[in-house]
Amino acid sequence: MVAGELVSQSIVNGILLGGIYAVAALGLSLVFGIMDIVNLAHGHMLMVGAYVAILVFAATGITPLIGMFIAMGLLFLLGIVLQKVLLKHVVGEGLEQPIIVLFGLALILQNIGQLVLGGDARTADLGIPGNGIDLGFAFLSLPRTVTFVVAVVLIAGTWAFLQYTRTGQAIRATAQNRTAARYMGIDTDRIYVITLGIGTALAGAAGALLSMLFPINPFVGWSYLLKAFAVVVLGGVGSILGTLVGGVILGVSENLGALYLGGGYRNVVSLLIFLGVLLLKPEGLFGTGGGGE
Amino acid sequence: MVNDESPVTRRSYLKGTAGAAAMAGLAGCAFGGSGGGGDDTLTIAGTIPETGAFSSLGQDLRRGYELGHARMNEQLDRDVELILQDDESDAQTLRQNLQQMTSNNDVNMIWGSFSSLLVTAGSAFAENQNLPFLGIAFAYEEPHRNDNYEWTYAPFPKSRDVARSTLGTLELIPEGERPSRVGIWEPNSGWGKEQADYWENRLGDAGYDIVLRETFEIGSQDFSTLISQSQSADVEVLLSNPTPGGGITAVNQMQSNNWSPKMLKFVRGADPSAWWSALGNAGAYALMCPGWVPGLTGNGNQRLRETYMSEYETESQYMPVNVGGSYNLTQVALQAVQAAGSTEAEAIQSALRSETFQTVIGEFGFEDNGLPAEGDLTAPTGQWWEGAQRLAYPNTGSQRALEFKYPIPPWSER
Repeated sequence: MVAGELVSQSIVNGILLGGIYAVAALGLSLVFGIMDIVNLAHGHMLMVGAYVAILVFAATGITPLIGMFIAMGLLFLLGIVLQKVLLKHVVGEGLEQPIIVLFGLALILQNIGQLVLGGDARTADLGIPGNGIDLGFAFLSLPRTVTFVVAVVLIAGTWAFLQYTRTGQAIRATAQNRTAARYMGIDTDRIYVITLGIGTALAGAAGALLSMLFPINPFVGWSYLLKAFAVVVLGGVGSILGTLVGGVILGVSENLGALYLGGGYRNVVSLLIFLGVLLLKPEGLFGTGGGGE
Repeated sequence: MVNDESPVTRRSYLKGTAGAAAMAGLAGCAFGGSGGGGDDTLTIAGTIPETGAFSSLGQDLRRGYELGHARMNEQLDRDVELILQDDESDAQTLRQNLQQMTSNNDVNMIWGSFSSLLVTAGSAFAENQNLPFLGIAFAYEEPHRNDNYEWTYAPFPKSRDVARSTLGTLELIPEGERPSRVGIWEPNSGWGKEQADYWENRLGDAGYDIVLRETFEIGSQDFSTLISQSQSADVEVLLSNPTPGGGITAVNQMQSNNWSPKMLKFVRGADPSAWWSALGNAGAYALMCPGWVPGLTGNGNQRLRETYMSEYETESQYMPVNVGGSYNLTQVALQAVQAAGSTEAEAIQSALRSETFQTVIGEFGFEDNGLPAEGDLTAPTGQWWEGAQRLAYPNTGSQRALEFKYPIPPWSER
């Protein structure tokens, strides 16, 4: 592999990784953009989704690509219960209270994971061979390519849902102006329940996809939360296209940073880009600056 | 010197000390007993990672310590109390636990935990308290050299020993088939650099080409760039010392990127049983240096295995590596207390410095800084094969050892 191929391979790897980052960030972005809360438990919900896929795979041999839908269903229910039982009391009461509730939830999920499953790293098998397609200038890892495609489909599906369904339009209306949406007859409390359900279901989907590429343990939640947060800031809060672009930028910059500066500086380039966007375009690359009340 | 095959011996220091023992007993009564059980009791405090990132190793460490504790109670003429707490794989918790244990008990010695991160935290506490400290899974040498350790002793192969055994393992391969291109993935930690330096120097001096040396962040989830670079540099021997999670991630990604070296050594990364449960056959061929490996012989290995099998009702021929490593630590503690003839910290420290110890990992003494004396210990190298870690180097002829499996076949042929 010559130097030029190393660069193109790093870019391809970064793009494929970026798709996963994007889907990991999508639910966070949605909830942040619509409900104005930072879901600090998002990474841990992702971890739960990963474990669901892993356990389903271990018990039945069902590939996580199918197990992903079970994870999404369970996490959707978790999101609904969470909103109805806990968050409805604190949403709209400022940033601090939801953050405290969700931080507590993250710790609870982490400890339950550890108690029930131990601290060992676990993985699920995609069920396809560990090879791929040689493009000449780069090698396309089949597992990564499959998960990337699924991630893009999920992102596109979420966009279509928000764009073309009545519930999606109501969600967007609530995001733009909660009070006005209420005046227009939208049940914003119900919208919040659905939004959190979708956000957590997407975390579950991301977890299931990640479980096919990376070992999962109960402590991975924080690191994926940080990645997702960086993607949301890069792409712009609530922007679905921005999430995909932000994820890809993060993935590619990490890989190029590792190639040129060394793996020890893997995150330096992506963090510099992150800081640059915060300084020059704080609403993110595709952010609108927010609507709000 | 006691060994496990010998009958139980009585320590010479007891001869003619009945009066002193009576005085000690009286002193114990006078102070009302502080939990340590008085002067005749040897109280050992220790922490193990039963929860947290290293929890897959906690049970193995506990079992090794418990078996050793039972042996100490058999062979010493005093009660031995072992207090073990969960450090949650966290240095701060470890320190708090040790603080609490030493406050509530007359602790004579500290054992402890897993990995350089946690062991150095325990060591720092012990140095501060002037208490003898024994730690395994602690290959990092620099603290011993630079921190003026007085109380810390590591009955465990260190970075230099790991490099030496890597060379020894390579020499098992017939000269005509021997690989020459070595790649080193260096974790961005003190131990990562130290180990990489030793590998580069030792193997470089022996004529191997170090064609790649790249760093990565501990906790990194993506090794694809390193894999591409290794492939590009045509790396045949890949050496690294990642965390267990990092090691598993790396092999997963080697498989999905359809690349593997001919020889893979992941010190510490491939140590826990989680390696096989997460990777299955994809984890085969990986080498590690966990301090002890099934297949080692002598110095009580057979008795340890038999006791382990009966105590924990297992029929497995292959005991987890960290049981052996931690049991070896308890053998050093036993022999040091025997030689010291006392539970006094200074006497045990003096014995640790001056004695030679025979344990399931070999025969060795310590340098003044707590390192095992240079050249005494060979870092036994294990290899994953059919769900178990078995000794690949050095060759002991044990039925639990194996003939070094080389080369690792490409993924398509596995």
